[in-house]
Amino acid sequence: MKILIIEDEHELLATMKNYLESEEFLCETAISYFEAEDSLSAYNYDIIVLDLTLPGGNGLDLIKLIKDRNRQAGLLIVSAKNSIDDKITGLDMGADDYISKPFHLSELNSRIKSLARRRHFNGTNEVSFNEIKINTDSREVSVNGENIDLTKKEYEILLYFMVNRNKLITRESIAEHVWGNDISYADNFDFIYSQIKNLRKKIRQKNGRDYIHNMYGMGYKFSDR
Amino acid sequence: MKLLKKTNRAYFVTSALAFIIFGVLIYFFLSFIFEGQLNEKLLSDRMSVIRNINKDGSLQYFPPFIEVQKVPGQTERSVVFVDTLIFDVTEKENIPFRQISSVVAIKGQMYLIIVRDTLLEKGDLLMTIIIAIGVVFALLIISLYFINKRLSLILWKPFYNTLDNLKGFSQEKPDFILSAETEIDEFIELNKTLEKLTLKVISDYQSLKRFTEDASHEIQTPLAVIQSKLETLMQYPDLKKDQAELIKSAYSSVQRISKLTQTLLLLTKIANGQFPEKRSVNLSELLEEKIELFEDQINGKSLILKKEIEPDCILETNFILAESMVVNLVGNAAKHCITGGIISIRLDKNNLEISNSGVPFSVPPSKLFERFYKINSSSESQGLGLSIVKEICTLNGWKIDYLYEDNQHKFIVGF
Repeated sequence: MKILIIEDEHELLATMKNYLESEEFLCETAISYFEAEDSLSAYNYDIIVLDLTLPGGNGLDLIKLIKDRNRQAGLLIVSAKNSIDDKITGLDMGADDYISKPFHLSELNSRIKSLARRRHFNGTNEVSFNEIKINTDSREVSVNGENIDLTKKEYEILLYFMVNRNKLITRESIAEHVWGNDISYADNFDFIYSQIKNLRKKIRQKNGRDYIHNMYGMGYKFSDR
Repeated sequence: MKLLKKTNRAYFVTSALAFIIFGVLIYFFLSFIFEGQLNEKLLSDRMSVIRNINKDGSLQYFPPFIEVQKVPGQTERSVVFVDTLIFDVTEKENIPFRQISSVVAIKGQMYLIIVRDTLLEKGDLLMTIIIAIGVVFALLIISLYFINKRLSLILWKPFYNTLDNLKGFSQEKPDFILSAETEIDEFIELNKTLEKLTLKVISDYQSLKRFTEDASHEIQTPLAVIQSKLETLMQYPDLKKDQAELIKSAYSSVQRISKLTQTLLLLTKIANGQFPEKRSVNLSELLEEKIELFEDQINGKSLILKKEIEPDCILETNFILAESMVVNLVGNAAKHCITGGIISIRLDKNNLEISNSGVPFSVPPSKLFERFYKINSSSESQGLGLSIVKEICTLNGWKIDYLYEDNQHKFIVGF
């Protein structure tokens, strides 16, 4: 899958590219409005990640260009302004999703994959890892072919783990992904721990392996290694 | 007080004063002329009495107007003017008279000549003046009142137009035009000044808005770089425990700065009134949704949750702000409630009450709403949650109260 990342901050662009490439995406980058214009005119992309604040032009204008030239592309807007106006305008103009800076790389990855699934670029709406399978349309989860019943939060956590497999995912990013930004008012992350405990128990009941590893008290890694 | 009432009052007082002074002056002037004429008439009457005596020696006698007596043995006396009262038999009252008396020698005989005339007319004069001035005064005031009323409607129309236009002013609408046509210099100047002022307000507001957004951008971008670098660093295999500890603490500090700038930005935006769009918000649904968010914490601390939420409580407000208020209040209650304590949440059309068990604070409640105020200074919380709630309440004209009863900290928002 081919992704174009349009981002003016050099360091951030490099990190995003690096992370997404480790997820086996094919990444191209554009660091300014004009570079983005060139790339968009010359090639087709499956997903475009667009930072709205760009030197040389307004990111919102690029949305128009993307909609003209790359109609089928999924568009994820990134903005540091956290400005509601930008968000609404962007989504109105045809952006598919919006993420504000600073974001977690695992969250960015999860958003891109969700966008890809919704657009059926891989021809599938299934996310699977060994014996665990998730159908993201019906939201059904099966372990060794047997369906398990997860709560909404458990489902969200499992899916987040599975799209970010083999990566350390911080507790902060899980909290924000599942509970939203609001949860920053929590003083500890025990509530995540109890959700994960339940999730492990349910998977184990169907003879699934425990892939969730605690990493240095910093977060978790979903991996079979 | 209305401008019209004030001008009318000023007109009334000044013209009343003017009329009183005018009336007094007129009175003295007219009575001076009247007395002069009276005196002349009396003197001429005296002359005709003397002429009559000279002609044929006849003594005229018309009391109380003319009295002539022979007074032998008296010496000649020149004219003396006296004001006196004389009892009138027919009217049965004392009537003021002016008399002149003199003793005159005519053909060797001494005569006492007294000539009088009534002063009644002087009293009439005073009465006439008072009535005349009163009538003129009343007419003047009545006509002034109507003229003023009519005139102020016409004169002040551009002013009221300007006022009406200004009422529609909002810094959110950058295309505001005063557009009040007038030919009166003062109002033209007023409109020009107001136009300058509103333009300045709008541009200041816009630049402030831009500043907060730019500042946020400038801070969030490097934070995003740091955060993403740390997240990349974390992915390295075989991190040593102490290396991981370093990354972990740097990471959590970045998270805190990031949240802090977001919160400060939110506070600034609320204070700037940058959340103008209002719509009907179903607070009951919002509250239920946000309670669910904190469910895990509530269960984790074995808290008892008592809910009394009246369905479909609708508020006309900004959704983001309503959400932020609810999250802060519910989040605070969940966070500060002692383990095994009670959280009670009550909502009806007029009030939202959220309380949690806890030991009483040692500080005055007003401090709770101050920015960066923390009961426990070592706590990781920002100390901004209640400031946000307070700002949101102020903006919406809601009332927020805190009280401590039955071991419960209770926050009440009155809509």
